[in-house]
Amino acid sequence: MKFIFIICIFSICLLVGFLFYSKYNKRKKFYTSLIMLAEKLSVEINFSRERLKILVENFDAGVRRNLLGVDEGFISYLEKKDELSLQVFSKANCLKQDEKEFILLFLKTLGRSDVENQTKEISAYISRFDEKKEETTKEFKKYGSLSLKLSVVAGLFFTILLI
Amino acid sequence: MLSKILPEKIWTIIDRKVNLKMVNEIRFRVNKPIIIAIGGKNYFLSENGATSNLGSAIFSTKTIIEDIIFRASECSIYSVNEQIKKGFIVTEKGVRIGIAGNIVEENGVIKTMTNFCGCNIRLPHNVKNCSLSAFPFIVSDEGVFNTLIISPPGCGKTTFLKDFVNQLGERQSLNVLLLDERGELDNNLTSNFFDKIGFASKKVGFENGIRSLSPDLIITDEVGQEEDIDAILYASTSGVKVIATTHSDNIETFSHKPLFQKLIDEKVFKRYIVLSKRNGPGTLEGIYNENFSRMMTKF
Repeated sequence: MKFIFIICIFSICLLVGFLFYSKYNKRKKFYTSLIMLAEKLSVEINFSRERLKILVENFDAGVRRNLLGVDEGFISYLEKKDELSLQVFSKANCLKQDEKEFILLFLKTLGRSDVENQTKEISAYISRFDEKKEETTKEFKKYGSLSLKLSVVAGLFFTILLI
Repeated sequence: MLSKILPEKIWTIIDRKVNLKMVNEIRFRVNKPIIIAIGGKNYFLSENGATSNLGSAIFSTKTIIEDIIFRASECSIYSVNEQIKKGFIVTEKGVRIGIAGNIVEENGVIKTMTNFCGCNIRLPHNVKNCSLSAFPFIVSDEGVFNTLIISPPGCGKTTFLKDFVNQLGERQSLNVLLLDERGELDNNLTSNFFDKIGFASKKVGFENGIRSLSPDLIITDEVGQEEDIDAILYASTSGVKVIATTHSDNIETFSHKPLFQKLIDEKVFKRYIVLSKRNGPGTLEGIYNENFSRMMTKF
């Protein structure tokens, strides 16, 4: 019984550590994928002038997964099924409020102007997203692995304590 | 289609309270009442449908107009900028939306239009057999006569053309080339004998079409510029028949238009068909020959 209890405590510590690790990882991947999407949109808008919905739908599925449902919410808005609001971030809990509002502004500018202005706007947003990507990468390196290590240490600590 | 373009509230009213089959146009102007044209007459749109009472009219806003244009472009205004520069967008169902706003020019070249302040949604209708009365005057045993359809805006020229293509397809196997500069013509066409060149100028369409598609007949809408006249002359000297439309009040006004003098003097068009809104759009006012002699009185 005690052995099972120790395993549970150790697992819980590992889980907490993994959750923090996962959060920082998701943030890093989100911004990396967002930049890839924005760059793809900029190129395609400039050359193919294809509709936004098709561009987003045809974007790499693996990369889209990292966008935590924001892309699906945007497509739903393009299909006039939903409003474009903070609701699109319902699965993106790892993002801060101000980050969500900024990304929402970006989404609201898409499709609203001619090619030249649209690509300029996207470029400006990509610059800001690049800064965020650097910030989240540093966070991940600093706190991501630290969380895992601390969780292992905490788990071992409680294990020894209980033994 | 309108459900995808119009704001939810406005679409709900129109869907439930207005007979869309009778609607020709829906007009939006910033801070002005929404207007619907039914049978050639204008009414205000209210919560209860069409009305003549200004007091109960629903007013349009800049946001509504911008959203309509945004939705009409499938949320991708950049993809229809070439159309917007010409002042319209055509949706996939052939609905033409005229746009009012500020033109942005650079070095004398139109770059785009911004600050949208109005739009006019023109709903196409297929009126089967609307061209039948005029059909025997345009098509004879000798073939098709070069024909010009004349009317003010909104009188059914495009509807007439579309029905004519279908009627011709049922009776003859002539190769028809549709020059669909605004993307309005090939909606609901049943003929098996037509090709289409879309969104090209008349000059490009006529030259490329005649060279590559060997049409017997070219059908095109809205002739109104010098290069359109040159294109028609090119076709007529190439042995290709032409049916076209143009804006004018009546045959008398048209006959004095300087732009068409060369075509009139050379009697390129053998038939002139005049339409009006007198009894609703598509009212056939008269058919004239190349000398402007009336061949048929009012219908």
